[in-house]
Amino acid sequence: MTRVVEARGLRRRFGEQQAVAGVDLQLEAGSVLGLIGPNGAGKTTLLRSLLGLTRCEGELSVLGLDPRREQARLMRDVCFIADTAVLPRWMRVQELLDYTEGVHPRFSRAHAERLLARTEVGLQRRIAELSKGMTVQLHLALVMAIDARLLILDEPTLGLDILFRKQFFEQLLNDYFDEERTIIISTHQVEEVEHILTHAMFMNRGRTLLCDSMLALEQRYVELRAVGEAATRAATIPHLGQRPLLGGRALIYEDVNRELLAPLGDLCTPALADLFVAKVGEDNGHD
Amino acid sequence: MTDTRSQRWRSLVRRELREYRVSLVWTPFAVAVLLSLLMLAGLFVANQFSNLGEIVLDVISQAQDEDGLTVNLRMTVDEDGNRVAELVTESTESLADGLEPLRRDYQVEPAPDLADEALWSFASDWSFRPQDSSGAPDQDEREASGPVTSLHPLLYGIHGIMLLVLLLVTVNYLQGCLYVDRKDRSILFWKSMPVSAWEEVLAKLSVALLVAPAMFLVASVLTQWAMLLVALVLSSRVQVDALGLVLANVQIAHWLLDQVGGWLANALWSLPLYAWLMLASAGARRSPTLLAVTPLVVLVALEAVLLGSQTVIEAVWGRMPRLTPDGTSGGLFLQALPWQGGGLLAMLAGLCVAAGLLWGCVWLRRNRWEL
Repeated sequence: MTRVVEARGLRRRFGEQQAVAGVDLQLEAGSVLGLIGPNGAGKTTLLRSLLGLTRCEGELSVLGLDPRREQARLMRDVCFIADTAVLPRWMRVQELLDYTEGVHPRFSRAHAERLLARTEVGLQRRIAELSKGMTVQLHLALVMAIDARLLILDEPTLGLDILFRKQFFEQLLNDYFDEERTIIISTHQVEEVEHILTHAMFMNRGRTLLCDSMLALEQRYVELRAVGEAATRAATIPHLGQRPLLGGRALIYEDVNRELLAPLGDLCTPALADLFVAKVGEDNGHD
Repeated sequence: MTDTRSQRWRSLVRRELREYRVSLVWTPFAVAVLLSLLMLAGLFVANQFSNLGEIVLDVISQAQDEDGLTVNLRMTVDEDGNRVAELVTESTESLADGLEPLRRDYQVEPAPDLADEALWSFASDWSFRPQDSSGAPDQDEREASGPVTSLHPLLYGIHGIMLLVLLLVTVNYLQGCLYVDRKDRSILFWKSMPVSAWEEVLAKLSVALLVAPAMFLVASVLTQWAMLLVALVLSSRVQVDALGLVLANVQIAHWLLDQVGGWLANALWSLPLYAWLMLASAGARRSPTLLAVTPLVVLVALEAVLLGSQTVIEAVWGRMPRLTPDGTSGGLFLQALPWQGGGLLAMLAGLCVAAGLLWGCVWLRRNRWEL
């Protein structure tokens, strides 16, 4: 497996605020990492550090390059979509393709036009005239037509309706992702990306709360759904967090003997969103 | 998928021309069309004046004098073969009741002055020699102000107007080129492309330094050709060798070299100002204009108050492209290379300052691009 991202002790401070506080991250090719955190957790700063868009301290290597010194060269193999509002509004779609074709050695204009032909985005249309959803479709088509090794998406579906969001992630998975490519997605819509992730990383206040493969998370964390007396007994066992259910409780445990919990109720793998809430709650409770 | 350097530069420049297509592409040609229309309107008005002139001459030739008489000249040869000139005047005064007079009175007065031999020698070549009250110029002066450059001031006037518009457009472009994409956040898209900050900054500078002037120079030359065409039409009305006359009054190679080279020379001289405007554009959070002007105003004011001198304002003013007439041309031309007064050292110093400012633009573009 090729190491795509290697970061150790990554730090970035804005005045008094420590946006990224010593983050470690190792990611292999063929991974889809979900970067999840509350607002202000440092997700965007971390992603911009990986892209060479902001200064940072610590060891950092992306595709064997230091983004801080070789940002332009790195962009030959890395694509990113910051959010829905960054395409130049004065441009026409055709002009955007012209520009990308002119400066990007790995861009296939024919592929982009094929992808756009499936949408309602006409080549002569001005980007300012496109809806949010169509702008994202255009940006995604552009990115998918670039033969990049790493794709970084920072809240790519922010403000889109559920249909566009679903279509976006399906297209990403079906038409783009393969074992050679790596994707890092930062999003608040955890439920919608959970099924495509191979890895998950939780951030809170600039620190990493959790970073592991989805397989490892399934083995390490378990959710117990218990009712009545069993729920009360389950709550006495050390757990990460809990939430009320109809007539009972759902509790999330870390590194616990499942045989101990089995008599108390139904066991299942916790949803990523629930695990995230539990981990953030635990982290905030410690301070 | 080509990755040639020239294609990259073409794409970067084309992007700028598309973003600023109104000011960089449409404006020069709109000004050219406007100036051409004004010239055509002038031609039309001149035509009207010409027709009016003929009418005025008719009126004058048939007009009555203050005594109600029309004037005719009668030329006769007497018995001795001498030319005799006489003015014959006829009374056309109407009667009080509006009826024609029963008798016409004629008066004949000798006019010996008009019988001069030289006045009536139609066989001799005629030439127009305007009187010069200051006396005849010497030979050198006549050569210097001779017919070879007589159309140049007119053409340079048109060129001067185009350059003035170019200056305004360039200042506007330089102030916006590293600011607008930060304001609308599209910088994140541009940064997702494999284009370095140096490439971006230099591409934008080359647009201001070379591409925009080229657009305006082309438009200016076309307008000046239109002006020559107008001159050709006007000359042909007086039935002379119009083409020969116009071409004899324009040194085309000199004219083009003067205008193109003149702008480039001045642009290099003004490069520190260009780079300063770009730096303000790269660093501004709200207004690039304020950021460009405020430090200079503060410096000038501080210097005036503390030292009582004007070095800063003179240095800045000295770097401004000069549009004031200089000699026979209209400024910004090769006859007046900007560094001839200040020396080559000043030119090199300016380029070093510009390089430093451009480095600052690149640093800001890399590290301080967020508003």
